[in-house]
Amino acid sequence: MPSLTIDGKAVDVPVGTTIINAAEKIGIEIPRYCYHKHLSVAGNCRMCLVEVEKFPKLQTACSTVVTDGMVVRTDTEKVRKAVTGVLEFLLINHPIDCPICDQAGECELQNYYMKFGLHKSRFALEDKVRKKKVQDIGGQIVLDAERCILCSRCVRFLEEVTGTRELQFFRRGDHSEISVFPGRPLNNNYTGNLADICPVGALTSKDFRFKCRVWFLKAFPSVCTGCARGCNVEAFFKGDILYRYKPRVNEAVNRAWMCDFGRLEYKKANNARLLVPFVREDGREKMMSWGGLLPQVAYRLKDAVEREGPDAAAVIASPQSSNEELYLVRRIASDLLGTKNLAFTSRVPGDGFSDGFLIRGDKNPNSRGAQLLRIPGGPAFDELVVKIAAGKVRALLLFGDVLGDLTQEETAGLLSMVPFVAQAGTNEGPVSAVATAVLPIASVAERGGTFTNHAGRVQRFHAGFPPRGKAKDTIGFLTSLANRLGAGWAFDGEASVFRALAATEGPFAGMSYESIGSLGQEAKG
Amino acid sequence: MSVAFSDAGRKEFERLLARYPEKEAVILPALHLVQKEFGYVSDEAIVYIAGLLSVAPAQIEGVATFYTMYNRKPVGKYHVQVCRNLSCSLMGAEHLIGHLSRKLGIEPGETTPDGKFTLSEVECLGSCGTAPVMQVNDEYHENLTEESIDAVLDGLP
Repeated sequence: MPSLTIDGKAVDVPVGTTIINAAEKIGIEIPRYCYHKHLSVAGNCRMCLVEVEKFPKLQTACSTVVTDGMVVRTDTEKVRKAVTGVLEFLLINHPIDCPICDQAGECELQNYYMKFGLHKSRFALEDKVRKKKVQDIGGQIVLDAERCILCSRCVRFLEEVTGTRELQFFRRGDHSEISVFPGRPLNNNYTGNLADICPVGALTSKDFRFKCRVWFLKAFPSVCTGCARGCNVEAFFKGDILYRYKPRVNEAVNRAWMCDFGRLEYKKANNARLLVPFVREDGREKMMSWGGLLPQVAYRLKDAVEREGPDAAAVIASPQSSNEELYLVRRIASDLLGTKNLAFTSRVPGDGFSDGFLIRGDKNPNSRGAQLLRIPGGPAFDELVVKIAAGKVRALLLFGDVLGDLTQEETAGLLSMVPFVAQAGTNEGPVSAVATAVLPIASVAERGGTFTNHAGRVQRFHAGFPPRGKAKDTIGFLTSLANRLGAGWAFDGEASVFRALAATEGPFAGMSYESIGSLGQEAKG
Repeated sequence: MSVAFSDAGRKEFERLLARYPEKEAVILPALHLVQKEFGYVSDEAIVYIAGLLSVAPAQIEGVATFYTMYNRKPVGKYHVQVCRNLSCSLMGAEHLIGHLSRKLGIEPGETTPDGKFTLSEVECLGSCGTAPVMQVNDEYHENLTEESIDAVLDGLP
């Protein structure tokens, strides 16, 4: 293992490590535009120049492999002067339109200017080369060519990650610009990543543009609920509104990327939410309080069991629920109601599109968790549907906003066979349109827990803010419901449920929130 | 408009394809072939050879716009290309471009209304020892003066 010193600090790194990564290991951030950990090294921006003893000229830290005994300095006058010079060149033709630029606040030109530049411009505004602004180049991206510093991250992403190669450099010299070929816009399912990797305001997100200045946003770690991949995300919010998802690096799951569908999943936490408990009586919706509705739900479930036996009650679990929620739901069905009618389905309306990269056919984040928690899926769900259609179920507790891949009409038809349907859901949909009682629950941004992805990786998501409206945290609601069914539970939050679950459920044995950490842990089996 | 190589062009393209280990490497000679066959490099021609080479049209556009030798617009019967690089500029290329501009009545990048001449400024033609230099179609004309330029252009049919 080569050992070297950077700014006087010693560091040992594996053979083949570059200076930029060796520095990162000891907390020294070398400025960079073109270098991106998940793309090939280009070495064209010249921001990462460092001094290496015995080298006559400054070296690019991104492309220089360390050798044993190397002495690197990133903090000398020579380096600073060089980086300031590079920055001045990059800014020569930059429009400096920060006040109308969506990247402002998270722009590496701004950041490095404050750190290394602070120079007065020696170039008159009217002499700058102008290029085309606000170009819709397809996908989720708007291109502003004159803000581009030609780092080529986007070009490399489209070559190396998607293989679609829509963006290239055209022309040369100070007329160089990135663009798409006429009539050939971005055509892949990962375009949103281009706005993430663009270090400046050249590629911005159509969805997020001008919605909010980034310095007003706070972020918390979460997991995308759009499919069974469980891409790690950073969820950005202000108040109780989510503004965007950005991928959070997890080498084992999504590396640094996420798909365009998942990127818009955050909207579900904002739009068409169920926010008030209500019952449907004679086709009319009547608002209720939780205190008024919950005893009714417990009573109707208990009543069905007592009058017609445990199988007159049924529970449909949701693969959108967390492991913690599913564990409680199973215990309510099996231990408290004693019904065999418990099932979930991972099927959803739509084509089940998958691409062999990140997008999975299963559009739910936790089907694997349901399986590992011994909640039957697939055929068991179909059997339960047959039972319900035959009118054998008198009270149904249903989680989620859709009933598998059943259409709105099929859902309405099926649920009309059950005298009492209590739905615990987050969004308006085919189920809330017909359920007898609707219990609004917290969105993925308002509650915490774990999902188990398609590969059995258990990953944590967190509550960013309290539930909107009268929506309730599911753990609390399930605990009160269970206690009304005679349980005597004392769960207090998802952590206490996970401890109980890890103690009894084999696949999760020995796991804890600490061991899962921020990047997840594989379940057994 | 759909474009396609002539039989001879197609044969030449197949010959080029066999000469290089990577398809990307064929882009340069393929663009020359396009120019020979169609006179200039049109959007349609780019899409056509992108299809033949299984590369993205944007990759071809990147190559075609980097080099001054490829004409993305139709050019006149005689394409007058004057070097504006260092040696030629030191030897008065700028002055000669001005002379050509006045003589032909067009700015660099333009074509005369009769379609006879297109005037272009190009990068180094690799003939610094005989600067200033211009290239008319495939012919080099070296050690230029206003008089020798007049003689060359006036002598063209």
